[in-house]
Amino acid sequence: MSTVLLQQGINGVVLGSLYVLVALGLTLIYGVLVQINFAHADVVTIGAFAAYFFTFTFGGNYLASIAVALLVGAILGWLVNAAIFAPLRERGSELLPLIATIGVSVLLQNVMLLWFGPIPYAFDSPYSNQVIRLWGGTFITGQNLIIIAVSTLTIALLYAFMKFTFMGKALRAVAQDRETAGLMGINPNHLIMLTFVIASALAGMGGAMLGPILVLTPFAGTTVIVKAFAIVIIGGFGNVEGTIIAGLLVGLIESYTTQFVNPGLIDIVVFTLLLMMLAFRPTGLIAEKREENV
Amino acid sequence: MSSRDHTELANPFDRSSVSRRWWLLGAIVTIGLLPLVFQDSYWRTNLIVCALNVMLAIGLDFILGYAGQLNLGHSAFYGIGAYVSTLVITKLGLPFWVAFLCGIVLAGAAGMALSMFAVRLRGHYLAIASLGFAVIVHQVLVNWISLTQGPLGIYGIKPPPEIALPGLPVISFGNSANMFYLVAGFALLFYVLLDQLVRSPIGETLTAIREDEVSASSLGINCPAWKVFAFGAGSAVAGAAGAFYASSVGTLVPDAFIITESFTILAMVIVGGMGTLIGPVWGAILLTVLPEVLRGFGDLRLVLYGAALTLVVLFMPGGIVQAAQIVRAQFDRLRARLEAG
Amino acid sequence: MTISGRVAGQADGRRNSDKVLFRSKSLNKSFGGVHAVRDISLNIPHGGVFAIIGPNGAGKSTLLNLMSGLYQPDSGTMSLDGVDLVGLKAHRRVRLGLARTFQKIRLFKHLPVLDNVIAGFHIHHDIPAWQYVLQGTAFRRDYARCRDEARKLRSFVGLEERAKARAGSLAYGEQRMLELARALATSPRLLVVDEPAAGLNAAEVEKLLDRITQLRAGGMTVVIVEHNMDLVMKVADRVLVMDYGQYLFEGAPAEAQVDPGVVAAYLGA
Repeated sequence: MSTVLLQQGINGVVLGSLYVLVALGLTLIYGVLVQINFAHADVVTIGAFAAYFFTFTFGGNYLASIAVALLVGAILGWLVNAAIFAPLRERGSELLPLIATIGVSVLLQNVMLLWFGPIPYAFDSPYSNQVIRLWGGTFITGQNLIIIAVSTLTIALLYAFMKFTFMGKALRAVAQDRETAGLMGINPNHLIMLTFVIASALAGMGGAMLGPILVLTPFAGTTVIVKAFAIVIIGGFGNVEGTIIAGLLVGLIESYTTQFVNPGLIDIVVFTLLLMMLAFRPTGLIAEKREENV
Repeated sequence: MSSRDHTELANPFDRSSVSRRWWLLGAIVTIGLLPLVFQDSYWRTNLIVCALNVMLAIGLDFILGYAGQLNLGHSAFYGIGAYVSTLVITKLGLPFWVAFLCGIVLAGAAGMALSMFAVRLRGHYLAIASLGFAVIVHQVLVNWISLTQGPLGIYGIKPPPEIALPGLPVISFGNSANMFYLVAGFALLFYVLLDQLVRSPIGETLTAIREDEVSASSLGINCPAWKVFAFGAGSAVAGAAGAFYASSVGTLVPDAFIITESFTILAMVIVGGMGTLIGPVWGAILLTVLPEVLRGFGDLRLVLYGAALTLVVLFMPGGIVQAAQIVRAQFDRLRARLEAG
Repeated sequence: MTISGRVAGQADGRRNSDKVLFRSKSLNKSFGGVHAVRDISLNIPHGGVFAIIGPNGAGKSTLLNLMSGLYQPDSGTMSLDGVDLVGLKAHRRVRLGLARTFQKIRLFKHLPVLDNVIAGFHIHHDIPAWQYVLQGTAFRRDYARCRDEARKLRSFVGLEERAKARAGSLAYGEQRMLELARALATSPRLLVVDEPAAGLNAAEVEKLLDRITQLRAGGMTVVIVEHNMDLVMKVADRVLVMDYGQYLFEGAPAEAQVDPGVVAAYLGA
């Protein structure tokens, strides 16, 4: 029994670290723009497809394809910001950008559907079938090991970037108070673009690593995005530490629910948790105060 | 944030009560003629779907365009209406119109519950909460197999019972023309009801809440209560649409109510013109009919919705209503120039 | 009784014999580590203009928000005409006769001028619920009455010429006056005005003070929150001076000007 518990724990951490990658992008964007980018999910999907085609159509190295997906994600992030968020920023509407990204998301998904078809692509990375034995009778596949390694490294780098570099601090400054940051010589628009690029790069990378685990269809991103939203809310919009904790938590919940309860109930469990979070602690696990000035 | 703020010009749909009566008459006549023009079952089904979409769109506009609540889970109320009304008939053996009422009431109650729950949440949180709610409802419909038969669905749902009035021929709703009259008639009724509300101080109250809640509270408006009211009204109308959907299509599967459906209804509202009530009617008609007309290009329906939604938000946020205003203004300018020169 | 009636100085049947309209005892409010309002007790008498002044950061706006219900106090009591206000939500206080304006203008920018004023009549519609749908005689009567009253208020604040404009397109000074009209539409007994002169030029300030004087003449109780002493001297009957959230002085304006504590607070600030 304890083997199973441990095994699902490991699986949960793997899943969780992927969710964190995707959710971090969302939370970064929200922190800086106070906007939700619905199309984020589709960056994940496109990243997965990019990695797939790079590996199987062009015969590239799988590990390199992760880098390719990162690049593709970055470009997409740049595009979405330039085409949608930047123009709408002048209008000052709170909800219109979100609605626009819903439109983009629906568009992207269905264009991919037309192009790639609804049948799932079998994305087997060369590491999917490598099994490494761990302690206590548990094991981990090579793919999952890569996921944990890459995710942890990326998250750590990002965290360090945010906390210790000038750019990172500037990003946080823009998140706190855009006008004042502007007055201090930081160009908020450039920083917002940077945020988008980083966030979408993370998403693309996540997609490349998720490809072998998930069912790869044009709608693959959707299954992740709704959970990513839940994570961002549970962790607190704009809160990096909270997102990391919440992401791991959701990964573990999903893993254990699949094992011990009905897998069909995962979404219900996660979302009920989300709704309860919203009811009792809308600012997330690690509360951050945003006072409105009357 | 409605389409009203995009131009100072008169809204061509802003009609005095006299011209409104003419428009109403025109709508009734059009509804009456449509099934006579379209006799094949394919197009008649589309007409019914169109009427259903109109109901869904105006309900969502009441919530989103007037009360300013970003509800991304409208499909859940549609589904609740459909399943509740069907199950009340099949499991409790109650007559259709009682079941219809149950569907409306439960969908409305669910809307109010969600709203009460989310009452303190800011726009984005509410959006996610409503999305989460819709996912939960869909998953429940899929997984509670003993109740809903899950993905296999419920088959053989009967249309509403015949109406036999003395001296008149029996009205059977198995006839698709009659079914269309029923659904479109209710859609028109709901439109008129909501329109009256919107033109009353209630509409002003909701607009105030949408524009600035703190300001509205300082004028004595109980914002949470009114938001719950708007949500309840909008979702009740969606519930009615659900009941009609089930009884006109005849089969019910949970996937008819996935969250993508919420997005398509949202697209209809935005493309038509959020916060105008008549706009979403046009949006629903356009986005229901256009994909059918373009059938030759494959299943482009959702691509069309996505593109329309994005482009409208970016370039014509007021939707069809705003476009009509601009066209009207051009005509006026042209006419003025012709009269002068 | 109509607001225009109140403005014109007709007698108010609701006035009770007690001289104090608003009473608070030991109000406290903290935000995190900041003790914004400390132990404030005040008695605002019926009629007249009462000013709450103090340097920036003194806690005046917090006190105002406590009065209007935007915040709830940590401790202390408040009452309006004997009715306990603590725990009462902001919108309910409006029904008791407490109205306010905002320092940062919060008009409905996309609505026309008249519609903004009409929004203030929310609590004064006297139509049965079903008439909102069926819109019969009572509805039409109420509609006409509201539009009429709104026009009178619009004239009172001097905005007749801007009839067709959207609130967002008005000049700053005009927007402030519109906010005033909108607050008056709720038929308040106690009107609290937050930093009314902020951003106004001298002529506009004169106009505003003139209106406030007229309101006082009509029997309304007006509370002004301001940090500009000179302005307040011209129109206030009584002042409360605050600094660092605390009570510094309460009494006649002329005495406040020479009170050593007050002078020190303003000079030292």
